[in-house]
Amino acid sequence: MAVTVSNLAGRKNLWPWLLLAPLALYLALFFLVPLGQVAMMSVTEPRVGLDNYEKVLTGTLYRRVFINTFFTAALVTVCCLLVGYPLAYLMNHTTERRAMAILLLITMSFWTSFLVRTYAWMVLLGNNGPVIWLLATIGFADPPGILFTRFSSTLAMVHILAPYMIMNIYSVMKKIDPALIRSAESMGAYGTSLFRHVYLPLTAPGIANGSVLVFVICLGFYVTPVLLGSPTEQMAAGLIGHQIEQFLAFGLGSAMAIVLLIVTLIVLWIYSRRFGLDRLYG
Amino acid sequence: MDRLMRWIGIGIVIFIAAPLVIVVPMSFSTAASLQFPPPGFSFGYYVQYFNDPTWLRPTFNSLFIGAMTTILTMALVVPATFALVRHKFWGKGVANLMMMMPMAVPHIVMAVGYYSYFGSLRLVHSHLGVVLAHTCLSVPITFLVLSANLKGFDRTLERAARSLGATPRQTFWYITLPILRPGLMISALFAFIQSFDETVVAIFISGRDAETLPRRMFDSIRQEADPVIAVISTLLFLAVFLGLIAPHVLRMVRRSLVRVPLPKPKKMAAQHREAA
Amino acid sequence: MTAKQRSMLVRPSRRRFLQGTAAAAATTLATPHIARAQNTELYINSWGGPWLEAATANLFDPFTEETGIKINTVSPVSFAKLAQQVRTGVYEFDVTTLGGGDIVRANEAGLLEDIEPPYEGALFQNGAASHAFATKLAWRTDAGWDGTPQNWADFWDVERFPGSRSLQRYAARVLPIALLADGVPMDELYPLDIERAFAKLDEIKPHIRVWWTGGSQSTQLLRDGEVDMIGIWHGRYYEALDAGAPVAATWNQAEIDRAYWVVAKDTPNMEAAKQFVEFATSPKPLAGFVTQGNYGALNPAANEFIPDSALPRMPTSPQNYPLTFEQDMANWGGDPHEVSMRFDEWLAT
Repeated sequence: MAVTVSNLAGRKNLWPWLLLAPLALYLALFFLVPLGQVAMMSVTEPRVGLDNYEKVLTGTLYRRVFINTFFTAALVTVCCLLVGYPLAYLMNHTTERRAMAILLLITMSFWTSFLVRTYAWMVLLGNNGPVIWLLATIGFADPPGILFTRFSSTLAMVHILAPYMIMNIYSVMKKIDPALIRSAESMGAYGTSLFRHVYLPLTAPGIANGSVLVFVICLGFYVTPVLLGSPTEQMAAGLIGHQIEQFLAFGLGSAMAIVLLIVTLIVLWIYSRRFGLDRLYG
Repeated sequence: MDRLMRWIGIGIVIFIAAPLVIVVPMSFSTAASLQFPPPGFSFGYYVQYFNDPTWLRPTFNSLFIGAMTTILTMALVVPATFALVRHKFWGKGVANLMMMMPMAVPHIVMAVGYYSYFGSLRLVHSHLGVVLAHTCLSVPITFLVLSANLKGFDRTLERAARSLGATPRQTFWYITLPILRPGLMISALFAFIQSFDETVVAIFISGRDAETLPRRMFDSIRQEADPVIAVISTLLFLAVFLGLIAPHVLRMVRRSLVRVPLPKPKKMAAQHREAA
Repeated sequence: MTAKQRSMLVRPSRRRFLQGTAAAAATTLATPHIARAQNTELYINSWGGPWLEAATANLFDPFTEETGIKINTVSPVSFAKLAQQVRTGVYEFDVTTLGGGDIVRANEAGLLEDIEPPYEGALFQNGAASHAFATKLAWRTDAGWDGTPQNWADFWDVERFPGSRSLQRYAARVLPIALLADGVPMDELYPLDIERAFAKLDEIKPHIRVWWTGGSQSTQLLRDGEVDMIGIWHGRYYEALDAGAPVAATWNQAEIDRAYWVVAKDTPNMEAAKQFVEFATSPKPLAGFVTQGNYGALNPAANEFIPDSALPRMPTSPQNYPLTFEQDMANWGGDPHEVSMRFDEWLAT
């Protein structure tokens, strides 16, 4: 590449940099600097040193919250897969009209704000809501409260993130050549064996894409766990917000934020080593 | 087996659809709480929403901030995308990564950063502060959508224009820009929606003067589960619905008027992967 | 030079550099902020709900009428916001109400402006005593229990009174309640035995479904039956009761807090803010406010304007006050800030 650059005339050489400069300057000022400030605060507030990290990595509360976050993200990812895979499969095997209708529904869900969907789950799962009402109607005398538990927040997160999974799986599944399936069937592959040897490998990139996306978004989820979950099962983002808002513990909050960021980047890095990062979002 | 799959499918569809549908009847409820089925129906909460400045102000703030964010994002991203897609230069890989980075950082991390940084710049509670933050968060998605469009751009058209004697400037204004218009519109829409829906950063920095709609909704849900939220949810849901249905309806109308087969529009799935 | 000293030398200059570069571009758009400083508008931190209704009718509107100063409210009430606005110099509100413990904490951090006492004995440090409110025990009457809960020990008694519960996510209010449930008499509470309180809280923790964080949230929980028993501010209880919910409550062992008006340090609307605090604690407006909001007036001169019909719902009335106890922040038994940190860790583990 260096050769190409030196071959070009001086003016042309500068041109892409001129086009790029405003954005680069902008990101430096309003992305890197605040991010750097978080890193800075984590080692200077309230004292210079690694006290905050020591607390975050060894304190029972923080360790528990991080483990819980990781566990919840994994659970949500698996649930999204359980919801997304069969649906994508069905969309691929039903009439075009139905597939379009389902696609429209998923798109609609995707575009509807996180908050609206979180609120909707609050309505659905509330003590006077339709789920409890339904349970009571079919004979459950005293249905347990389900709002403000790990169950309700997990369910809502699965709902919110499922479109990412479905879209990713559906887009690879659609590209599978039906002739391939037919020839597999003609060679005697049915049911589970067809699934294991043909479908699964062919859709693996979609599954990987969707899973990483869901997992990463879930790691940093703030709104839904805060509104629907319980404080005894907090996730990392919620605790960071609480530390800052309630205690003005900028140092501790920042240290947790940096740990969260590093975990996220590690997941993305592992993924990009294998598949390439552009594939994920592109 | 097939029947089982079918029921599973119906179950999943209900799971996805139910939360979207439920807010609509709730918004017409007469109950002061989250009661289902509603004891009665009225437009009471709609009247309340359209008369309550504590809801309307955040709504306008969000629209304003979204519009400003879109303008600023486009002004920064469009030239940068041209540079990255059409030129080869040293440091391109780093520049590419930099464009994508805001997407990889959890919003809560940025929220902490902005809260402290904008605090020291006295930009908290101002529209400008929120616009600056939202622009940064909108860069990756806008870049992705736009660069996908630009990569698919057939450059022979530009070359043809140049060979017919057009100056580079003329070529850009009369050939490149008109062809790219749909891509530009879509990426601008993504920037707007990214800002309009953004909650976490807004919770921390938008404050009293620049309070956005998601922040107001978040506070309201956390504090009281006010049924006015059902009204806003219904309206937002309706906007999405119309936005998605509109192209289909328009196409059908056009088709019935013109009766000429039009090229099939881009599949929604493809757009969606960009969205993700 | 120690590392700490060095960092203190480095930090301001880094900040100033950033301010220079980015703020220069920002000034033009940020001007509304500066312009507002000269306007006669006042921003008050509001608790919302019945508090806001009573304050608007009896304090805010009459004040605006008398002085021409427009009042805007900002919610929710947050100590962190008070600290953050003094730290950044961007003010969300000029005036707020704080409890005694928070005033001590705020003064340690230099967040409050000194004020003149509006009436004799009004001041606690630099807060003007306004009204008393209580955290009381309330429950659903449709929970299907034999008998009614009498005290906090019954709140802990999940055998006799099964069902889900809720308390405020606020250590300073919850710890004394736990000690009462453990059998400590009301007059021997302070200084608090923090360890004993946490041990008692361990027992009830699995039964607390929601740790509420906002007043209107607590109303909603009780009104909609999300929980069967709750420790709730008395004003919020009456809100649920008046909305027709099947609820009841007792004044027995209710916990009284005093609310003080305070002015944020260096706020741009200083004069108006001080004027308001004086107005809000003067007898007549205060009497109207506590009568409508069911609070207890802390300016004794206000009592003559309060009708007898309002007394049954007031925590400080002669019938109710003997049943209750007051928060004693002077003799609390620990550093409230540290205890609330510990409380939060306890909550999450």
